Amino acid sequence: MAEQYAIEMRGITKTFGSTVANKNVDLAVKNGEILALLGENGSGKTTLMNMLSGIYKPDSGSIFVDGKEVTIDSPEDAKRLGIGMVHQHFKLVDVFSAADNIWMGKEKPGFALSKKRYKEIDEITKKFGFELDPEKKVYNMAVSEKQTLEIIKVLYYGAKIIILDEPTAVLTVQEIERLFGVLRRMKEEGHAIIIITHKLNEVMDISDRVAIMRKGEYITTVNTAETSEQELTEWMVGRKVDLNIDRPVVETTRPLLEVRDLTINNDEGATAIDNVSFYIRGGEILGVAGIAGCGQKELCEAIAGLRPIVSGQMIHKGDNIVGLTPKAILEKGISMSFIPEDRLGMGLAPSMSIIDNMLLKKYRDSKGPFVDRKTGREDAERVIKELEVVTPSAETPVRRLSGGNVQKVLLGREIKAGPNVIVTAYPVRGLDINSSYTIYDILNKQKTEGVGILFVGEDLDVMLALCDKIMVLCHGKVMGVVHAHKTNKEELGLMMTGTLDLSEKYADKPAGFARDTLFEDGNKKEEQE
Amino acid sequence: MDKLGVITSFIHNIIVFNIPLLYGTVGEIVVEKSGSLNLGVEGTMAVGAIFGYIFGCYANSLGVGILVAFLAGAIFGLLFAALTVSFQANQNITGLTLTTFGLGIYFFVGNSVKSTGWPVMADYENVKEGFADIDIPLLSDIPLIGRGIFSHNLLVYLGIIIAVAVWWYLKHTSLGLRLRAIGENPAAADSVGINVNRMKYIHICLGCGIMGIGGYYMGLNMSGSFNSSCWINGYGWIAVALVIFANWSPAVAIFGTFVFGFFNTLRVSGTSIAAAFPETLGWLADIPAQMYQALPFIITAVVLVVTSIRNKRGSSGLPAALGLNYFREDR
Amino acid sequence: MRFHVVKRDNWPLWKRALAYLAAVVAALVIGAVILLAIGVDPLDYYYQLFTMGTVGNKIAYKTYMNYIKEFLPLAITSVALSLAFKMRFWNIGGEGQFIMGSISAGYIALKFGASLPVWLTLVLMCVVAMLVAGIYGLIAGFLKVKFGTNETLMTLMMNYIALYVLYFIGETKADWNLFLQETSSRPVFVNFSDTVAFPTIKIGAKFELNICFILALIIGIIIFIYLKHTKQGYEVSVIGDSAGTAKYAGMKVNRIVLRTVFLSASLIGLAAAFKVGTAGVLSTAITDDVGWTGIIVAWLAQLNTGMIFIVAALICVLQHGSTVAAATYAQVDSSFANMLQGIILFLVLAADFFIRFRIVRVKKGE
Repeated sequence: MAEQYAIEMRGITKTFGSTVANKNVDLAVKNGEILALLGENGSGKTTLMNMLSGIYKPDSGSIFVDGKEVTIDSPEDAKRLGIGMVHQHFKLVDVFSAADNIWMGKEKPGFALSKKRYKEIDEITKKFGFELDPEKKVYNMAVSEKQTLEIIKVLYYGAKIIILDEPTAVLTVQEIERLFGVLRRMKEEGHAIIIITHKLNEVMDISDRVAIMRKGEYITTVNTAETSEQELTEWMVGRKVDLNIDRPVVETTRPLLEVRDLTINNDEGATAIDNVSFYIRGGEILGVAGIAGCGQKELCEAIAGLRPIVSGQMIHKGDNIVGLTPKAILEKGISMSFIPEDRLGMGLAPSMSIIDNMLLKKYRDSKGPFVDRKTGREDAERVIKELEVVTPSAETPVRRLSGGNVQKVLLGREIKAGPNVIVTAYPVRGLDINSSYTIYDILNKQKTEGVGILFVGEDLDVMLALCDKIMVLCHGKVMGVVHAHKTNKEELGLMMTGTLDLSEKYADKPAGFARDTLFEDGNKKEEQE
Repeated sequence: MDKLGVITSFIHNIIVFNIPLLYGTVGEIVVEKSGSLNLGVEGTMAVGAIFGYIFGCYANSLGVGILVAFLAGAIFGLLFAALTVSFQANQNITGLTLTTFGLGIYFFVGNSVKSTGWPVMADYENVKEGFADIDIPLLSDIPLIGRGIFSHNLLVYLGIIIAVAVWWYLKHTSLGLRLRAIGENPAAADSVGINVNRMKYIHICLGCGIMGIGGYYMGLNMSGSFNSSCWINGYGWIAVALVIFANWSPAVAIFGTFVFGFFNTLRVSGTSIAAAFPETLGWLADIPAQMYQALPFIITAVVLVVTSIRNKRGSSGLPAALGLNYFREDR
Repeated sequence: MRFHVVKRDNWPLWKRALAYLAAVVAALVIGAVILLAIGVDPLDYYYQLFTMGTVGNKIAYKTYMNYIKEFLPLAITSVALSLAFKMRFWNIGGEGQFIMGSISAGYIALKFGASLPVWLTLVLMCVVAMLVAGIYGLIAGFLKVKFGTNETLMTLMMNYIALYVLYFIGETKADWNLFLQETSSRPVFVNFSDTVAFPTIKIGAKFELNICFILALIIGIIIFIYLKHTKQGYEVSVIGDSAGTAKYAGMKVNRIVLRTVFLSASLIGLAAAFKVGTAGVLSTAITDDVGWTGIIVAWLAQLNTGMIFIVAALICVLQHGSTVAAATYAQVDSSFANMLQGIILFLVLAADFFIRFRIVRVKKGE
């Protein structure tokens, strides 16, 4: 085979502890080509790319650059091989100027730092078609400026193979256009470019070929010209699978939790949730679908009282819960179980035992100064038994359990607390089929008991089968709320990628506006008094 | 003694007795800028002192003394780097252990040598003369301050030169830029191809070597008389404080050395100044010596609190990743 | 051949114990080489060191009594520090807190020792020392919570401020200074061991067990229970493990931090009161470096209360035994113990690496 690839990965496998992040993945890019790497969150795209940039080392498999096998032990090696990566989470030194962030990685910078570097960086910036003050400190930069700086950095190092991990997420339309212009020019100059993105329109716009990954596995690579957004969506989310998940019909009650015009910022200060309204009734599961990082995390944190909101209202059974402490919100019966990507970030104390983690929210309830581990042990043992948690004992630190078992412990505890609203994010992430079904059964049982459930999920098949309604988020905006039995994956996929906006469809009846909420009455009462 | 002579010798003493502090501080700045908090300055200076002094005397050469002191410090740095960089050990614990270990070596070696015959500095002409004051032509003839500021031993000048050189290195060289990047955000430095571990090793060793020279200086200042209290006598800890006071800048550290040194010297010379100027400065005699000793730490504590209250980004020289070990695959 | 360092999840206890043991043995071997080099029989030296010269010694009981005097402050201080460390609050201000406790305990003893009943004086000493040391520690805690001031550096500074307060008291003769002897022209601390001293229990013919020993054991057990079984101890563990999770569970993190720092510092104050009430006299070296050594002990024992007592006991053997052994081998004084201690610690830290990480060979793909 004569075709020469700029970079080729063969049979790459990478595991973190017991989690398989990449399983036997193949990938290849030619010079003068833009390859889009497409896949849902957690499908292992970033991990795969980090093995090219030298952050991780593959457990097995080989990498070829220009047809020669190479080993990439460090970012230094990657740079030498002409591989440059723009990370999604900026790798910048906050207190440095733009120029210094670039200069620090320059191959032969000369011994002394001269003021000329600002001029040189400025020239290069303009040459690439960007606008950036080289003397501006990173901590004074807007998110898009930081992104621009990262791109300039890689270009400046003269990378032949450029990887961009979701570069457009934080850029404006004009900036995206400019970036794409640069990418096209780089392509013409013979660079190989890999771009990770979720936006299908961008994929269609910029890429020559698309590689698709799903759940750590490589699915296929197709020529962009020979495919369609529908086809790509299907590959990305997988073919329709009949999952046979029960969806018991339950008589719904009044809205337990209602959110109105909610706006929340993320850690960087950008808008994460943009004027979102919805409600959850007792006895229903409201799914939240969306590409990762579309504000799901911020939404969950805001409901749990962990993140201040910018504006809007959150009403629980007629009481506004905005500004309440996490403890007060817990006491109202709102439970949150968020499974972050590292699984142990929130909701669990990783070094502590299952028993102790069971007690996290209720240790105060027992009388006297002592922690009631007897109840904790009973809870732990019941959860272990009912949810089939695989663990040496109830005393085992949660950190030592496999991902799926960690989730069972977390969800098990939340349900034990007897909440009336459950907010759960990615509860089946990384679980095997059987454990997943156990979790669905638990949620359904809660639903039949009249609990309102907000289910932030990834797998559309599961959401279609399990949820009553699905709200689709795209970059912090609601693209619409649809009935699960009246929609399909294609529609959801198009909404997730921002191609289809159904929020206007119900303009006369705003999505998620509950007419029968108690809140209005409560307000009136107060006014009367 | 004439009144002006008191002032001249006061200025002279500020410099001569406190430049070791500058060595310790500048050394620690180099180490901390790489993101490593080394609490073993005291011990590092102690080993530099004892080995530098003994070998310097045996070789009858100040240069050999300086070199050996540097190497002894650097070897201590190597130990610290191996444990914290390669073996990911806790920096606080490693640093404290380094102090215990260093003081142990200091006394062990010192006592062993003493039992066979302690080298007396006065017997070694080259060391003694090498350490004698060198007048800077013309400048040292300036009345009042000339002999105070411009007539010092070689190690004083070397200390100032090192401080200025390190300041320049950190601020105005590409390597210095890389070093600062590592202390601020090792992951970012790593991602642009900077060899984080190698840079850390080199600079920890370099910084500890500089501390070692400072220790040697202290030994010489005590004329090499070895007794039950260590030559370093807490200066290593003051250096740790001075790093904070100086906001991690070697240039400010020179100034800080003189501020700290001013109080330190006032403790010793306060009474003689009070005697020379009874009307204006007589009250100096009433200030307890311990107040002067505590002042560096009080001032530093205040500086520490004030900077944390201001919490203005970019204004603090505190390396953001100070005290944290870097492991690339941490997610 | 390429190697790759990976985090290790879990090593069985016996392997970990073996790794530490190997480190200690290796350190002793290195020590032995040094001993040989200076012409000391290492076996005999180690024998003297580890038995503290008590074998065949008629006044061995005195050695034991002195040993306990050294052991108590170290053990309590280490336990106290472990409380703060468990919460990932780097209180390295044990020295300063100990000093503040000592000064206040000494003050009570001198001021009220003659007028009040001894037991009341002793109780007062403990209470006041705990309060003063606790508040002294709380300063750094407050600044940390309020402004995010780095507690490692802050407590470090406060150690020295306290130290010079002690020097000031110890070196300044004045009318107000009741700490110094009036009769002596040179500044000498007043010895109040005749009026105020912790009672002892006679065991056997000569050995007198200081009541503080029993109290220390009780404190150890209480802290063990506190950390393991109380709600407050539970909160400390959760915050130390994941502050985010603690907030999520509705804990008032700042308040818990302040409470724990106060408790940690006041326990160090209690250790100081024990020390002062046993010695019967202040000194400028009253701390015996327990604030420093305690950090190392707590860390080595991995903050496990039971292990802290064992590690503290071993380190005291090393320190006390070396002074005893120095009597036989003049050329090997206590500085050798410091060196040995350093070597042991370095090797243990290195062993710790192999417990937390493993080195794997990178496999090649086909």
